[in-house]
Amino acid sequence: MNDDELMRTAAQLKKAIRPERDLWQGISEAIAEPAPRRWSPLFVQAAAVVLLIGASSGVTYMTMKENAPSAVVTTPDMIFEQASFGNRYNLGPGFQDARDLLVADLEVELERLSPETRTTIETNLTLMHAAINEMNSALEADPENTVLQGRLLRAYREELALLRRMGELTRNVMLRNDI
Amino acid sequence: MPVDTEKRALAALLTSASSDYSRSMATVSTNVQTDERALIRQAQRSDKRAFEALYRLHIDKVYGICLRMTGNVSEAEDCAQEAFIQAWNQLQKFRGDSAFSTWLHRIAVNSVLGRMRKSKREQDRIMAVGEMDRPALETGDSGEMRDLSEAVDRLPEGARNVFVLHAIYGYSHEEAGEMLGIATGTSKAQLHRAKLLLAQQLKQQGFEP
Repeated sequence: MNDDELMRTAAQLKKAIRPERDLWQGISEAIAEPAPRRWSPLFVQAAAVVLLIGASSGVTYMTMKENAPSAVVTTPDMIFEQASFGNRYNLGPGFQDARDLLVADLEVELERLSPETRTTIETNLTLMHAAINEMNSALEADPENTVLQGRLLRAYREELALLRRMGELTRNVMLRNDI
Repeated sequence: MPVDTEKRALAALLTSASSDYSRSMATVSTNVQTDERALIRQAQRSDKRAFEALYRLHIDKVYGICLRMTGNVSEAEDCAQEAFIQAWNQLQKFRGDSAFSTWLHRIAVNSVLGRMRKSKREQDRIMAVGEMDRPALETGDSGEMRDLSEAVDRLPEGARNVFVLHAIYGYSHEEAGEMLGIATGTSKAQLHRAKLLLAQQLKQQGFEP
């Protein structure tokens, strides 16, 4: 039997073979059972959120109940110092050092970004600095205004946090581009 | 009636009958396809009776593939059952991109391969104890074809799987390769190997090339 004959004969072999017993019964029973329920990822996430909120609320309740002093969590490298107000940036030395370091880091990172992205970031920082300058000017006229003092302090903190975030973001962007 | 006229009348009758037969067969084929599509749609809406009808339409070929690939009645029954259970569970995913039979056969082949992987250690252990004569495969083939059928059953797994899908069930090397999770070139190589081994076996049985 040559190759062609072999293939011709093979093509004539029975393709449909009736099983010796009816297999439907077993199939029917298997598909009648409800499929095993799996926890959907969404449900698991929702459950995790509920648990987290519950646990957090519980801890808060217990803390409040015991009149324990509230804990302030700060990251080790976040330095918040009392700022003084006047006719110019008048920050404590630690605060100013941290800010200068972040600005220097950011400037290095900005050099590696596209001109468009750099412009967007610099425009936003300029706006923030302008707002800080305006508040400083307002405080010159009304140095005892506690609302303005609070806002200015918050603006300094936000600027610091923003500088840190942007530095991290630009580093991450560069890592992705490097890949 | 003169003989020529009679012949022409007979020829016309035969032509007409043949044409009618072709038309009726085409209608039957179209009806079967339409019915199958309707059954699939119903089964996709969890209609078990429609799925049973699909099972009745396809079980013989699915079982045939399983039996020729496993070479074992009990394994083939399990594989065929598993294939239909999988098909039911995945029916929503069937979009009609391929024929329903092809889709079903792919599931059956997967079922066979999965079962073979699971039982491989057990088989190896049995084979190590001693070569066991496998009972002749009851495929319903007779004569020369029965000999070929039994020779196919004795092929090594890889060569047998390709030979069954390509040479018996008519799938292309691309399709067979995809079903078996092997490259098209590997499928061709396995077919070549299968042909050589079959030729040797058949020669031993007295079939001269």
